[in-house]
Amino acid sequence: MIWMRAALLSLRMLSRQRLRAALAVLGIGVAVFLLCAERALHAGVREATESNDRDTRLIVYRANRFCPFTSRIPERYADAILEIPGVRSAVPMQIVVSNCRASLDVVVFRGIRGEDAERALAPRLRFVEGSLAAFLSRGDGALIGSALAERRGLRVGDRFSSAGVTVTVLGIVEAEGAQDRNACFVQLPFLQGATARVQGGEVTQFEVEVDDPRRMDEIARAIDARFAADAAPTSTRAEKAFVARAAEDLVTIARFAGWLGLAALAAVFALVANSIVLSLEGRTREIAVLQSMGFRARLVAWTIVVEGVALAAAGSAAGAGAAFAVLAFGKFGVGAEGVTVEFRPSLEAALTATLAAMAVGLAAGALPAFSAARRSIVEGLKSP
Amino acid sequence: MNTDEQPAFIRCRGLTKVYRRGDTEITPLAQLDLDIPRGAFVSLMGPSGSGKTTLLNLLAGIDSVTRGSLTVGPRDIATMSRDQLAAWRSTEVGIIFQSYNLVPVLNAFENVELPLLLGRLPRRERERRALEALATVGLSDRAGHFPRQLSGGQEQRVAIARAIVADPPLLLADEPTGDLDRASADMVLALLEQLNRERGTTIVMVTHDPAAAAHAGIQFHLDKGALARTVVTA
Repeated sequence: MIWMRAALLSLRMLSRQRLRAALAVLGIGVAVFLLCAERALHAGVREATESNDRDTRLIVYRANRFCPFTSRIPERYADAILEIPGVRSAVPMQIVVSNCRASLDVVVFRGIRGEDAERALAPRLRFVEGSLAAFLSRGDGALIGSALAERRGLRVGDRFSSAGVTVTVLGIVEAEGAQDRNACFVQLPFLQGATARVQGGEVTQFEVEVDDPRRMDEIARAIDARFAADAAPTSTRAEKAFVARAAEDLVTIARFAGWLGLAALAAVFALVANSIVLSLEGRTREIAVLQSMGFRARLVAWTIVVEGVALAAAGSAAGAGAAFAVLAFGKFGVGAEGVTVEFRPSLEAALTATLAAMAVGLAAGALPAFSAARRSIVEGLKSP
Repeated sequence: MNTDEQPAFIRCRGLTKVYRRGDTEITPLAQLDLDIPRGAFVSLMGPSGSGKTTLLNLLAGIDSVTRGSLTVGPRDIATMSRDQLAAWRSTEVGIIFQSYNLVPVLNAFENVELPLLLGRLPRRERERRALEALATVGLSDRAGHFPRQLSGGQEQRVAIARAIVADPPLLLADEPTGDLDRASADMVLALLEQLNRERGTTIVMVTHDPAAAAHAGIQFHLDKGALARTVVTA
């Protein structure tokens, strides 16, 4: 009971020092916001690049090419790929991007043949608005991934332009994969005609579905062997490995951002410790007075630790809440070379960041707390 | 020396305090023998460095005895641990400081309630006692005021309320009127006299002011860490 009363006393005293508390909470909030953003990017990279034993999709790309503008493969390869045992489908796809470089708002057009649409898109897309039939009924029609639609504020019936391509939105689609959530699906002939950079009869890549996930590597090798002597040799990888290679720069940045996450926690430590130490500097006599009343050293230390944890909890809850809201509603994704890595906020990550910040706050408050509580009462009473 | 025929409430025997400052030893109290009867109002006087504040700190258990014995009531506080002393202070001692030492972010009521947080009293009882203590010092109408909103005299009266709220048998005051004007000082001294008279609280007050010391029934004059003179007026 005494510990609870002391904790409440500490919180009451902290609440009466609003400016100091607000500044500390603000600093901690910013640090935890960065930590959550880093965690969200990390989760997005993991989701986009880590394969699992259920993956059945291969991407066939032009060998030694790393950009959608330079990967050109004859559309007719589709028939040859379908002849390889274990291949369920091979969908030629033209990729046109608004920006080849890393950017927070890349529009990736994915041109797909009308005859492939039902087979290729229906299993992996869920219509939020519009329909596949409507999409196929109009040449400039587009299906917009949900994340891209929210980011750009697009609704069915809207027209929008990017990379010199103007489309009419005829459907908003939700999908499990980040690439589909951030794509703008259009019909292949329309895309080939809409931009001079694309030649008819050529596509950027093939999306190949295989029957057995365990045979992904074997089939990839068979595809590349089939076209090795051709004018347009190919390089085939599992989709997530392809994304990892295409977005190599982003993956590197995400790895580096991991250090920023640790730096954010270090900032929380420094902010809490700084706030506590500065506060204690001016409260040496107050602590001595509490002890002269009968507050034991560890009870005084407890009140200081509670203060540190409270600051960390308030700051981290604010930072994590803000990060979750901004990232969840902003639907941010970083695109590069036609692939997208989303920021994937989660309540679990926000809670983890909050708890980590509170643990750091506890550690940051403990040392000055026990140091202050062990000081001589007489010396403390003499302090100004 | 025993100043009364009653058994001593506070008993010092060979009480010595030695500080070290680098290689130098400072002895503010040396072999002090002193008895204070229960319910006495005692003033400690003497020039700066005579050991009166050191003696008060030892009586409060906030400084450690180097040699000798110091008993307050039935307890030899010279042998108690830091935690035992803290627990003892929470029920047995109230301390009043020259500069009031109220917690600035707590209002008068909350400051007075502080010592009661260490006990097992329910919230309503704590409130009742804190308000009663404020009423005793005549500040019921200032319960919600923060220290910055009070005059010096009012702050010291809140500090007195805080010191007596747990009803300790021993009240220690270190220059309680040192920062106050005459009128406020008289009010504080009258209050201490009233507490001594009506509650039987033993009061030990350090002061430089002869007028303040005159309120005490026993005046101990210290010099160079030893008892120089005792004046008993009551």
